[in-house]
Amino acid sequence: MKQRKATREQLKQHNRQLVLNAIYSGLADNRAALAAETGLAKPTVSDLVSELIDEGLLVEVGRGEAAKSGGKRPRLLEFVPDARHVIGVSVTEHQMEQCIQAVLANLDGRVLAEHEYFYPVEEPETILDNLISVINGLVAQLDAPLLCVGLGLPGKLKVNSAVLTDTLVAQYDVPVYVENNTELAATALYAFGQDDECLSDSDSDGKAHGLVTVLINHHVEIGYILGDGVYHNGGSIGELEIVPGQTLESQLGWAAVKKRALALRERYGSTLPEENLLYLHVRRAMTYGDEAALILHQELVDVLSPMLAWIIGLLRPQQISLAGGIVDLGAELLHAVEQKTRHLIDSEGIVFSLAEDDRGSGNLSARGAVAEAVKQELGLW
Amino acid sequence: MHIGIVTNEQSGVFQRDVIAGAREVAVHYGHEVEVDSRDEAIDRQQPTSLDLAAVDGVLVITNVLPDDFLEGLYLGGTPLSLISHRHPTHPIPSVMHNNAQGIWKLMDYLVQRQRRQRLLFISGNREQRDGIERLTAFQREVIRHDLPEPLIIPGDFEPTVAHESLQRLLQTDGVIFDGVLAADYLMARETKKILAALDVAVPEEVSVVGFGDGPEAVDAGLTTVAADVQELGRRAMRQLLGQIDGLVIRGATVLSVALMVRQT
Repeated sequence: MKQRKATREQLKQHNRQLVLNAIYSGLADNRAALAAETGLAKPTVSDLVSELIDEGLLVEVGRGEAAKSGGKRPRLLEFVPDARHVIGVSVTEHQMEQCIQAVLANLDGRVLAEHEYFYPVEEPETILDNLISVINGLVAQLDAPLLCVGLGLPGKLKVNSAVLTDTLVAQYDVPVYVENNTELAATALYAFGQDDECLSDSDSDGKAHGLVTVLINHHVEIGYILGDGVYHNGGSIGELEIVPGQTLESQLGWAAVKKRALALRERYGSTLPEENLLYLHVRRAMTYGDEAALILHQELVDVLSPMLAWIIGLLRPQQISLAGGIVDLGAELLHAVEQKTRHLIDSEGIVFSLAEDDRGSGNLSARGAVAEAVKQELGLW
Repeated sequence: MHIGIVTNEQSGVFQRDVIAGAREVAVHYGHEVEVDSRDEAIDRQQPTSLDLAAVDGVLVITNVLPDDFLEGLYLGGTPLSLISHRHPTHPIPSVMHNNAQGIWKLMDYLVQRQRRQRLLFISGNREQRDGIERLTAFQREVIRHDLPEPLIIPGDFEPTVAHESLQRLLQTDGVIFDGVLAADYLMARETKKILAALDVAVPEEVSVVGFGDGPEAVDAGLTTVAADVQELGRRAMRQLLGQIDGLVIRGATVLSVALMVRQT
């Protein structure tokens, strides 16, 4: 394929992002330092900074120290995280319900408000209307101009994402970025880190620079972000067969797990409830030595471990996180899976963790949608 | 524009702050607010004394209006926002505090920081969404922390009801608890008073925490999760004004809460 030169507009956009990112990440705090850090000519930096100040994204906050060689004291620059707001949305599917969760965040990723709507699974055509009604819920709460919208969709959702994107762009007149939910969950962990001792091997900024998230709810999905954010993707892996004749979804999907739990309950006279069963019940029953719960737990470990071993063998991430409802099985599951996986494959230096939603900061995918949208628009993170 | 607010008792602590927040936003945009407080019109035959034809939109605080009346308003096209309540069948826009987050923070405080195991939960009104969600979240956290079966008594978000329930419980033989989580802070304050009268040391013998925060909680030194009630009103008014401007909204706007550690 013939390679094309970047257009003048693309170059300017790239340079803008260099300047903004240098200020945002603290690598430079004045025009001269920006020129040195980005390699751009001083007049170019000056023009870009003026433009960013006019747009409210940067502000001058007084003067710094003069250089040792003398000269004028530089005017210090600061990034303004509340100059724009971003909406991140995640659509998830459960057996009976479709769930749309959205967060309104500033450019730092600080969540200002959340909006959620759960409704019975109907025809896919209703998704668009419901998406707009959820985004509208946060548009009503905007304190600053809307920069863009990030949208996370589940791997198995049968919907034309191009139509969704075009409609949302037309509706809100801002860029809209669509990715896979599980990939966005990985993006959220990459962009914001996780306040978790499991990340002790990550860099000092709290980020793991090669990260895989495996989301297990009704479906089984994988999202990854590798090479310091350069490579990222995600999608469903539920149809894969690690044991011939048995898909991952038929072993790890919630419908299958629940069915198996009830069968074990019947056989062993377990304390697991017959109705409204949760992973939390399994975890609690295990602590009482409930045989059905212990067998179910071991079966899950036996499926999860070879799956993670394959992922590690293929991608060699720095961190691998389990996410979704299965996380309610807690540290017991994580330790058992980690131990067995390390037995199956050399996992030296790889951190195993649970990616729990921080209740109150939106779900991981919606926050990841914010991170991805801001990265695309401003080059941050 | 003319905005109506329907509440059960405008002088109540919660209602007063919600109305103040909502009024602040309305006034900022130059709109008028009319409050219909049901405690001031006990003989009223209609669910609301507001002239619905004369208002541009209505904010409804908790479950003061019957669900079928709300349904009629919603289907009739009146812009409508609910505060701390959700309609059981229609996606009428609402604004809620993050009940699950609040209970999670209070439970982490009780179990991990205070090392409490045998808990008493004083529930809110189980016909209100806040009451249902806080109870459900509490039950989930009990399982998550692997605690013994807790005690649960009714409080209905009314300190007097909580008082009676707790007195009744304390007269029962063999009742043991070392931590109390009340579904609102006024019920927690009442609990602290009762325990003090019985010479039970708080928090040395029993920790007491409550959902929500206000001057009464500060005065009592209660550990709470602070739900900014005025912010609830502000967000609800923005949601309503958005609808009046033509935004179609479904579902709930959810606000975060923060743990306020004090002496209990």
